[in-house]
Amino acid sequence: MPHKTLVVGGGAAGIGAAGGVKAADPANEVVVYTEFEDVGYSPCGIPYVHGREIDTFDSLFLAEKEAYVQAGIDIHYQTRVEAIDLQRKVLRVAGEGEVAWDRLVVATGFVYADPGVPGGGLDGLYYVKNIREAMEWDKVLDDTRTAVVVNASPLGLEMTTALAHRGIETHLVHPGPWALADVVDPDIIAPVQDSWAELGVHMHFNTTLESFVGDRAVSAVRTSSGTIPADLAVICTHKEPNVTLATAAGLKTGSTGGLIVDERMATSAPDVFAAGDCTELPHGLTGVGVAGLTGSHAYAQGKVAGFNAGGGTKRYQPVYVPWGTPAGKWVIGGASFGETLATALGLPYVLGKAEGISRARYYPGTKKILVKLLAEPEELRLIGAQMVGQEGIKERADFLATAVKFGLTLNDLASMENVYSPAIGALNEPIVLAAQNGVENASAARAG
Amino acid sequence: MSALRWLRANAEHYLLVAAQDHIGRRYRSERPRPPRGLKDLFWLRLFAPLHARLPWSFRRRLLHAMPGSHRQRWASLSDPPHRRPPAV
Repeated sequence: MPHKTLVVGGGAAGIGAAGGVKAADPANEVVVYTEFEDVGYSPCGIPYVHGREIDTFDSLFLAEKEAYVQAGIDIHYQTRVEAIDLQRKVLRVAGEGEVAWDRLVVATGFVYADPGVPGGGLDGLYYVKNIREAMEWDKVLDDTRTAVVVNASPLGLEMTTALAHRGIETHLVHPGPWALADVVDPDIIAPVQDSWAELGVHMHFNTTLESFVGDRAVSAVRTSSGTIPADLAVICTHKEPNVTLATAAGLKTGSTGGLIVDERMATSAPDVFAAGDCTELPHGLTGVGVAGLTGSHAYAQGKVAGFNAGGGTKRYQPVYVPWGTPAGKWVIGGASFGETLATALGLPYVLGKAEGISRARYYPGTKKILVKLLAEPEELRLIGAQMVGQEGIKERADFLATAVKFGLTLNDLASMENVYSPAIGALNEPIVLAAQNGVENASAARAG
Repeated sequence: MSALRWLRANAEHYLLVAAQDHIGRRYRSERPRPPRGLKDLFWLRLFAPLHARLPWSFRRRLLHAMPGSHRQRWASLSDPPHRRPPAV
């Protein structure tokens, strides 16, 4: 029997959910509420338009608004949902009153953590999220001489690189000892930081933000290492689950602050599903809840949540988190745990590390790749990987996340077959070399 | 912020700082700034070393005892994906 499903949020998870509802039964009615002017675009592409790698913001839209109409998805733009009533199964919507639902999908995304310092209300503080605002900020960047990027988060890495590409004097302020220090190991990020230095980026590590300074608009950023004059500051603090509406309604959250969901993406309330950055998912290795994953995670979760809300049955899986991003002149990436994260968790590991090349050594454009593999010491099953190179990082990260998921060992990887074709792959696959090194290290540790 | 979230946020932050110090030293890289104040001292000098002495199996039980999505039904957590023989 067709259902009426309401979706709160028009990001990747919300649009995925709307599609999922229709996929479960085309007769289902689905309405998406978004506070913004647009849905279904890639906010992750915004830094690359600022950096001029992408010509226009138009490229970031996945579909025209008409395409959603054709698909039977009713989207209410610039419409704020004020409250969720779980008992009566209604939403209170600004300008529309109470709207009843059979099933609800919460896809409210994330908010940037408040920097928590004086001056947070000044103009000139850029939170990268909404594409329309990004279009306006892009014009501001034309006249920006000096910018401060606050926090070397994944977005901070992209914005630092983008602003430097744009020729703007860029300062990166980060409380950790190196960029993305909660995720990436220092040997992996070192080439990135060297390349930023070549691009003229000023890096301020172990530096705490103290305040934004200015009369009406920011004119400087005060830090524990001194004051940096700035025309604007890009706030790249970590993503926090946006659950204000959901928790006010009584939905339960976990230790990350994200909504608790099961494999059907069902929340703690009947007929209510959730997806994307507002949820927390169990990590496949440790079971520990994680939040703030990628757009591809959000979209896939949305499809599952929507399909189940629409009357179907689909399961999402615990996550093994393949990741990657360009930074400076390099691309970094990995899967599950690096050394820093494994050490923080107290996970024992054996390390295998090797430097290889992306194409045949004689083929023009060959790039170096550093691959690092972590495995548990008993059976040498893979628990994580990190890499830095200039090509082929994404594909290796995807493969290694699957290798972690299915318990492949360093021995498996040390003897795996690999593509050899001069223009696209070297004789010796860097993953194989790193795995062989790891097997040797494990043998030496057992012998010693 | 709930007590649980406060506990996780602080434990996670300071365990990462301790790990960055350890890994930074190993790679002769930059290391975190030294602890300042009682809060830093408690988490870095008391909590992190104590946590490191607990066996992983015990830490894992503690983590699993926390409320969260991992306590819900996830078939592939209780029966993890396993390798199968070749298809044909």
